[in-house]
Amino acid sequence: MDAVRITGVRKRYKRVEALQGIDLVIPIGEFFGLLGPNGAGKTTLIKSLVGLCRPTEGSVTIFGHETQQEPVLCKSFLGLSPQEPNVDRYFTLRKILEFHGGYYGLERPLRKKRALELLEQFGLGDKADDEYWKLSGGMQKRAMIARSLMTNPKILILDEPTAGVDVEQRHQLWGCLRNLNRDGTTIILTTHYIDEAEELCERVAIIDQGKIVEMGPPQELIARHCEQYIEVRGKKMKKLTPELLGALSQASEISPQEIAVQRGSLEQVFIKLTGHSIDGGGS
Amino acid sequence: MNSWTGFFTLIEREAYRFGRLASQTIIPPVIMTTLFVLIFGYSLGEGIRQISGFSYIHYILPGLAGMAVINNAYSNSSTSLFMARMDRSIETMIVAPIPAFKVVAAFVIGGLVRGLTVGSLTLLIATMLTKLPFAHVGLTLLYLVAIAVIFSSLGIISALWAEDWDHLAVMTNFVITPSIYLGGVFYSIHMLPGVWHRISYFNPIFYLIDGFRFAILGVSDVNPACSAAVILGVATVTLATAIYLFRIGYKLIV
Repeated sequence: MDAVRITGVRKRYKRVEALQGIDLVIPIGEFFGLLGPNGAGKTTLIKSLVGLCRPTEGSVTIFGHETQQEPVLCKSFLGLSPQEPNVDRYFTLRKILEFHGGYYGLERPLRKKRALELLEQFGLGDKADDEYWKLSGGMQKRAMIARSLMTNPKILILDEPTAGVDVEQRHQLWGCLRNLNRDGTTIILTTHYIDEAEELCERVAIIDQGKIVEMGPPQELIARHCEQYIEVRGKKMKKLTPELLGALSQASEISPQEIAVQRGSLEQVFIKLTGHSIDGGGS
Repeated sequence: MNSWTGFFTLIEREAYRFGRLASQTIIPPVIMTTLFVLIFGYSLGEGIRQISGFSYIHYILPGLAGMAVINNAYSNSSTSLFMARMDRSIETMIVAPIPAFKVVAAFVIGGLVRGLTVGSLTLLIATMLTKLPFAHVGLTLLYLVAIAVIFSSLGIISALWAEDWDHLAVMTNFVITPSIYLGGVFYSIHMLPGVWHRISYFNPIFYLIDGFRFAILGVSDVNPACSAAVILGVATVTLATAIYLFRIGYKLIV
């Protein structure tokens, strides 16, 4: 059984077709990335998963259950950290997390304990009784992620989780996500940071103008779409040829500046496939 | 998955929301109603003859309590839901594994609790200031609940329909408040001239006030059974509409 199966999903707004026939299968336990510029359809796709958007056509199943037929059951498997905060801004962090746990059926003592644990884990323990709107942007983002983990979701959906988070906290979050994934949580991540997708995701889908234009493990996509070679003294070689090995045997005479390795990147794959960079700029 | 825990958490959230703002949500309406009692009952009311065998202060008290319930139930659910739409915290309720009717029920109960709190305090103060008779205690409670359900549901409908705070104010200023004041809170419709008398029969709030007055004082302008039928009918329709709109995700799900 798959964690998520999306079949032929289309979403039309008045004049815009935000999703143009998305087919996607995410196996249980996968760390999956969705890459795309603003307006590509990532958030609409995520909203279709969690019940905030009703697809015009197609179906979405979560662990084999159709989201339109069994919405309550499907929602019980999901945890969402949205791109934009969706909280009662005047509530304290403690209350935000506790109420969230309650919505998913956690009994009071458990949700109180878990809320404190998560706030501590995300470095917000001393802010537990501060109102959400008083926190900095980075803290607000971490609070959103902590909230999404309140219910130990089987599928965790993170929409741009590290936007506005500093580098150290970003790396801490990566560690936390890796641990969760190792423990069996299926993770769906949308991000603007291509290095993040490359670092964390087993597979990524590149989505542009409502369509998935390519999908696969990052290294496989790079190998498929990028020119990879080793350049020694201006000579490009795609494999470790005898000629290259010969050149390298004289390594003492070659300065590091004379050797270059071109391995390609997901960014290059993205630009090649969509014709523009992930921030929407032209290639 | 136990969605009842989610349901009770939503109610707890509502109580937390208006409880932490008690100085804005509970105390002012109680003060306002007390002022109404003092001004209309003791000051201006002294010059008004008895109505249906009751002093003016006694005659208007059920209407004042009913008005407090109406305003607070409506205000609670409309403000809470509209705020949740504006700050998008409503999304956390939509994506949670709680059926739509339980989410609506929680908002209604939030309005009910606030409406009943203010209404009961008003009646308590009224009983302390005057000797208010309770002709039908059970019916009084039933009507308190029914009126709160109606206006909590209307608050939900308004909050879903409104695009901004102005829309919400339009409903309050141009529909709810005039209907209350023209619904016989301060007078018997038999005191109105012909055409206004007849128009009053088309105002649903008149039946709520009149029914509530019957429950407390035992007197009414129309047959109490008619008021009961209107109250239960309107409660059913408004609650069903609120649940339906929430279920189809009206202005909530794109």
